[in-house]
Formats: sequence, C-alpha cells, structure tokens
Amino acid sequence: MLAIYKKEMKSYFHSIIGYVFIAFFLALIGLFVFFYNLNYEYADFAITLYGIRMFGAFLFPIITMRLLAEENKQKTDQLLFTSPLSISKIIWGKYLAVVTIYAIVMAVSCVYPLVLSKYGAVNFKGDYAAILAFFLLGCAYLAIGMFISAMTESQAFAAVITLIVILFTVFSSTIAGFLPTDNKTAWLFFALIFMILTLVIYVMMKNMTVTLLFCSISEIVLAVLYLIKPTIYDGSVVRVSDWFSVISRFDNFMYGIFDVSAIVYYISISLLFVFLTMQVIKKRRWS
Amino acid sequence: MIEVKDLVKRYGNHLAVDHLTFTVERGEVLGFLGPNGAGKSTTMNMLTGYISATEGSIVIDGHDMYEEPELAKKNIGYLPELPPVYPDMTVREYLSFVADIKKVPASKKKNMIADVMKRTQITDVADRLIKHLSKGYKQRVGLAQAIVGYPEVIILDEPTVGLDPMQIIEIRDLIKELAKKHTVILSSHILSEVSVVCDKVMIINKGKLVVTDTPDQLSKHLRKTEGVELYLKNVGKELLEKLASLENVEHVETGKQDKDGIIKVIVYTAENVEIRDRLFYLLAEAKCPIYGMNKVSMSLEDIFLELTQNDAVSETAENRKKAVEDGQKDGMDKKQRKDGQEEENKEKEEVDKAEVKENKTEEKGGESNASDL
Repeated sequence: MLAIYKKEMKSYFHSIIGYVFIAFFLALIGLFVFFYNLNYEYADFAITLYGIRMFGAFLFPIITMRLLAEENKQKTDQLLFTSPLSISKIIWGKYLAVVTIYAIVMAVSCVYPLVLSKYGAVNFKGDYAAILAFFLLGCAYLAIGMFISAMTESQAFAAVITLIVILFTVFSSTIAGFLPTDNKTAWLFFALIFMILTLVIYVMMKNMTVTLLFCSISEIVLAVLYLIKPTIYDGSVVRVSDWFSVISRFDNFMYGIFDVSAIVYYISISLLFVFLTMQVIKKRRWS
Repeated sequence: MIEVKDLVKRYGNHLAVDHLTFTVERGEVLGFLGPNGAGKSTTMNMLTGYISATEGSIVIDGHDMYEEPELAKKNIGYLPELPPVYPDMTVREYLSFVADIKKVPASKKKNMIADVMKRTQITDVADRLIKHLSKGYKQRVGLAQAIVGYPEVIILDEPTVGLDPMQIIEIRDLIKELAKKHTVILSSHILSEVSVVCDKVMIINKGKLVVTDTPDQLSKHLRKTEGVELYLKNVGKELLEKLASLENVEHVETGKQDKDGIIKVIVYTAENVEIRDRLFYLLAEAKCPIYGMNKVSMSLEDIFLELTQNDAVSETAENRKKAVEDGQKDGMDKKQRKDGQEEENKEKEEVDKAEVKENKTEEKGGESNASDL
C-alpha cells in the first residue's frame, strides 16, 4: 500500500497537477477570505468555507480524474493487478494519496482563523470543526471521483462526469424544492428515476431479461405502493434528494453547530465509494 | 510448477479459451503459438491473475490463483502485450516502484535493480524518462520489470513485437539466459522465435489446444511430411510416371517449365525414407540430367499454417491446383479461365490475411506508443 501511495504522491508532484490543485484551492480560499472576512468583516472562517463549497465540483476532478482512468489507458493496471498486492491495498493507497493532497490544502487553511484572531474575537472551535467537516466533505467527493475514474479509460470523461455528479449533489435539494409535493408527481418522479436506472442497467449488463425484470418489478412496486398507501409519497422527493445532498449537511457547521450525523454521513459516503471502486475493478476482472 | 486444468474464458457468447489443460515443469520454456485472436493473451492474463477464468483452475508452485492470489502472484513476473510502464517516471524510479509492489526487501532492492538493468542492457538509460525511450527500450524496460524480484515463473506476451532484428536477437538471448534459472512461458506468432527459444510448443487456435510437442517433433503431426525437390530438363510424362511408381513415393507434383526448359518436380515420400540415391540412378539411366536436388521437409511455418488453418488452407490449395489445371486444358473458354483466376486471387487473399493481421497489431502497438509521446 505504501508503495502505491508513494508513487501516486510522486506523480502528483512530478507533474503540474498536484501544484495546480493546491494552488487553485488556496487561491480560492484566499479570495473568499478577502471577500467575507476582510471586506465584509465576518469573524467566522466557516462562512468562507461555506462560500466556496460548490467550487469543489471544479477542483476535485483535477486530482481524481487520472487516478484509475490513466492506469486503464496505459495498461499499467496490468502491472498493479498482477502484482502480489491485493486490490484493496492498491485502491486505499491511491485514495489516501489524493486525501493527503487535499489535507495539505486544509492544513494550510488552518492558519486563517489564527490570522483572523489578530483582528477580533474568533470562534476557534466552530472554525476548526468547520474545517474538519469541510475536509471530510472533500474526502467524500474524492471517493466519488475515484469511483468514476475507475469506470473509464478517459480522464476527460471521468472529469466531466465527476463534475456533473458533484454539481448534482450541490443542487439536488434546491431542485427538489421546486418540484410539486403532491403524491402523484412524486410517484411519476420515482417511476421516471427507475426508468433511467433501468436504462443504466441495460447499458452496463447488456442483458435484456434482467433489465426487463428489474424494470417491471420496480415499476409495479411503485404503482402498488401508490394505490395502497399514497401518503408514503408525501414529501418523498425532498426526502430522497436529501440523501444525496452532500453539501446541505455542511450548513450546520456554518452556524457553529457540530453535527455528528454529518460527520458520520461523510465518512460513510467515502467508505462506500472506496468499496464500490474495488467492486468495479473486481467486476471488470470477471467479465 | 504450473498446473492448468480445464481453463475456460467466456465473453458473452464468445468462447475465448476453450478447456485448456497443461502443465509446465520447473526450468522449462513453453511457447504459445497461434494466430491473432487465438486466445494467447487471454490465457496469459488468466495465468497472471489479471482476469479471472470462467471455469477451471490455475495452480502456481502449489498456490491456487483464486484461493491464494497473493502467494501465487508472488511467483510470477509478467510482461503483457504493451509494456506496463509509466511514461513520467525514469527507468530507475519505475523499477524501484515495481520492486516495492513486488515486496522486494529494501536491503536487496538496489543491487537487484542494478543487476536487472545490466541483464536487460538498460543501464545507460537508467535516469531517462520512459516516455523519451524508443519502443525497443520500452520493451526491455518491460522485460526488466518482469524479472524484478526474480520470480520463479516469467510470462512474456509477444516479447519481440515491434523490435528491430538486432533487438529481437538480443531479447531472444536474454530469454534463453533467463530459462537457465526460471520457468518461462512466452507467446508469439513468429514461429522461428518459438523454435529457437522453447523446449515445448503449444499451438492454440480459437482457444483450443491444437497440438503440444517439442519444436523438432511437431512435424510428426502432419500428413505429408517430406519430399525431394528436383530441377529436371526435358522430362517426359513417362519418366514422371516412373518416378511416381518408385517404392515409398506417394505422389509427384510438377511445377511450371521455365524458358530454359527446366521444370521443378517434387516427389513426396513417406516419413524418414531416403530415395535420393534411387532417384539419381533412375534419372541417370533415363539420361535426364538433374540440375538441382533438395530435400524438403515442412518448415514450422507450414506446420503452423496447416494446423491452425487446417481445413481452410488445404482446401484452397487443392482448389487452386484444380483451377490451374483447368486453365491449362485445351478448348476452355476465356470466361472460365477468368473465374479460375478470380478464385485463385480470393484464396491468396485468405492465406495472406494472417500476415495482414500480424502487421495490423504491430501498427497498433506503434500507434499507442506514439500517443505516449
């Protein structure tokens, strides 16, 4: 694991990518510190982090896009997966490398509350809790980015999809807020979601029987639920979209509340996607 | 050392590897031979644990590839079709990384890398970035990577593809040298390579084992094996019949007459029969001078073609002969002759296909190589 970790770290700092990521991220934080803390004279660094939360969509793909896509393209995955290292060690090595690079950014940003404290009262606990939460939020996005990178040979494709997925998690609750909340729309909404899922399954498995089975079962269950107990759909769209709303869980930290459930949520998302990445690679070996 | 039992790989409905069973002893060099798409690379990818088999088992040095993958993989060094190198690393960094993931103890690492570089003759490019190396050097770095850690088994997928003749000879020598200490499996569609390097050859076609034997013994598996090629002048029909009626002669083939009146005659015999002396006396008696005499036995190329394209080639060869004969018959109209020629061309194309494919894959290798830069 250490060998993979070292190699990834080296490759980030031998090429421009690692520097670009760190520099852009720090520049962005600096800019928002200037806006919020210096210009508008907010005392909380947490607000600055809240302000830049959606720019992650553009920054995280920079370091995750090449993580596995490049190995797939250069066929160097053949070296890694025929070596005596287990798949989980390889993936963890890679994941920890990107997390480390991101940790450098967060470590540097720890300086800001100290600097701000020179000019007034600063809520250190709140600020550092927010930095921790923001770090874990990023870890979740990095895991998602790695997962997407594992599925393709093209870095550009991985980057674009990661960007879209992160933007989706940013805006999902906002979009859901605009949708009508009555039962019928909710039912139609889920019916549509499962249709799209069916399509994805067909593209991935190319198996008509499984696809049709999945489609018919899911649609029938949705319809039966609607007929038997329509109240189950009350506000369900918003509820479901909240599951994916990685960002909205950061809100509490802005108000200075230490939200344990958010921390647990971020860690579980990270673990889930690291695990899914391993499954993608295992699946490819079997097909 | 390596035991493979009933290995099957299925991609959807396509059967890439069809119940392969073989064993390789310690210190042996086994050659996989087969046309493109025969399942060589798939088999090797399974042997090294890169992809998994649909059915069957692979045991390497007593460790099952699917039950104890880490122990089994520890005994293998693998050079895939494209050398798995990182373009942005120097050769030394790369080999050091490979040594790390192969769990080479830190104390031995430095010496091992130096030794491996010496053996593959890449010491002089040790500190250059891999993306700046030529295809030949990249291939050698790939080979060096397979040797790092001195695994018991070294698996090489088409190790000489894309190299120039000089480099091919060097790599072959290196493989021969490796064979002294390691068990080597290599694949190739170049027959001479296999016959030079390997102790045992497995010919695979469409995922199936066609034949396995030592290179010298492969010709045993053929129908027509030997013959004598004669260059004769003014040979009559009667004499040809006489030749055909000699003891042990199976049949006689004649070629075209050139402008000096010299005709090529091939006398096919059963295996291990010497008829050259009798031919000489017979022809001398008939006052028919011999301009040249050669013993022909089937080359590995012929064996390969015959075994892998078995039905297709022998049929087309017969058709071609027929077409030529028909063409020579008197009173045949032009249209028919044209048909015959067309058929002949088609057959030629079929035979040439294999070669074309070879070239294509080489080009591909070159392209992806170019894109590295």
